[in-house]
Amino acid sequence: MKTPAIVVDNLRQGYGRRSVLDGVSLTVPAGQTFALLGRNGAGKTTLIRTLLGLLPPAAASGRLEVLGLDPVAHAIAVRGRIGYLAEDQAIYPWMTADDVARFLAPFYPTWDAALASSLLDRFGVPRDVRIRQLSKGHNIRLGLALALAHRPDLVILDDPALGLDPISRKQFNRDVIEHLQGEGRTVFYSSHLLYEVEPLADVVAILDGGRIIRSGPVEELQRDVKRVILSPETLASGPRPAKLLDATRDAGRWRITLDDAQRWIDDLRAAGSSLTVEDLSLDEIFEAFVIGRAEWPAAPAESQPVLA
Amino acid sequence: MFLRIQRGAAVPISRQIEGQIRAQILSGTLPAEDQLPSVRQLARELAVNVNTVLRVYERLAADGLIDLRHGDGTYVTRRAKAGVTAQLAQRRRELAQEFDALVRRGLMLGIDANDLAQMLAESIERVADPPPAERPTKSSESRSAESGKRRPGKAEAPQT
Repeated sequence: MKTPAIVVDNLRQGYGRRSVLDGVSLTVPAGQTFALLGRNGAGKTTLIRTLLGLLPPAAASGRLEVLGLDPVAHAIAVRGRIGYLAEDQAIYPWMTADDVARFLAPFYPTWDAALASSLLDRFGVPRDVRIRQLSKGHNIRLGLALALAHRPDLVILDDPALGLDPISRKQFNRDVIEHLQGEGRTVFYSSHLLYEVEPLADVVAILDGGRIIRSGPVEELQRDVKRVILSPETLASGPRPAKLLDATRDAGRWRITLDDAQRWIDDLRAAGSSLTVEDLSLDEIFEAFVIGRAEWPAAPAESQPVLA
Repeated sequence: MFLRIQRGAAVPISRQIEGQIRAQILSGTLPAEDQLPSVRQLARELAVNVNTVLRVYERLAADGLIDLRHGDGTYVTRRAKAGVTAQLAQRRRELAQEFDALVRRGLMLGIDANDLAQMLAESIERVADPPPAERPTKSSESRSAESGKRRPGKAEAPQT
């Protein structure tokens, strides 16, 4: 079996006394497109910097492997095999695209100058214009061309399409599909633009409170997480669901959002209760996990049995 | 092949793609022996993950609607009998989901279950010319939520 591209086990990370990651665990198999979703400040960039070997894990962290290597102990080797693209690249603004390609080549053992050149042409990046004069769209495409030119096994994208217009974002996604997914490369895509990332991802993971609180294929999340609308009487009559995400009262009825919804729904239906089940978008699922109020309404009678 | 994907919808993207291709094949918009774009081509065109398109194509092939002739392209089949049966079951499932969505909407608007059943019966009367025993057909263009149908007498709407 092929070595996973990324293995993170119980990662703790912080700045001084401020804890940012509090036991993050995830595994990305080779060739997968893994989307890391989280709010601003959730720690996505901190996690990426750790993967790049720029931040050593805090004490009490477990295993950390990128392409089979410890990114801290083997920083140069690991970074030589990773492509990295963020929204604002730290590229010398006075260089031209050709300058940068020449500049970067020695850092990457597998750099292919002919490929770099052909990608720059293919992406329509002006070759001899200073980078500070390039449009945002061209900038990103330059970044992508440079990230691909050494044929990396893993490409880490830190919300690179954030500042692009919608048409450019779609084109960027197409480039990811053709040049990354099409070549079987592993893609670690961190973003809070859910709609952009959802169609590309094999697996999404939600980072919140310093941990990965849910992960899986988007289809699976949409199958498992549902919103159920029911009357207060029906609510009081049934057991509390094990994976409650949000309970909101709305015009006399309860809207219950929960994970592993089907069992609870089946049980309620078997008991003859009436309820409405709603499918949710990834947006709504994300909200439920991150800002949902998972407090079960106080029962008028004594405690309810918990559905295991 | 024209497909329209709605991002950020409650319906998973794979289901949207699959549903639209199925509808086009069943309605004859995509006739037998027509060639579909390759998995990679379609993924690029729609800007979706290659694996998503691959899963859709595999499901359609499993139902006998398309033929993945490796190296030679993907084609709409002359539909096998087994494939047709699977399609009908799938269509019924999809229609059931549409009924659910319609009923939800009606209830949300404050229309009670009995009224909804009545509206449905009236709609069937308006639209279905042949006697009730025959199943009315619905063209793929008129997929608007307003024209829902179901067999009269089957209690589906939840009673509050």
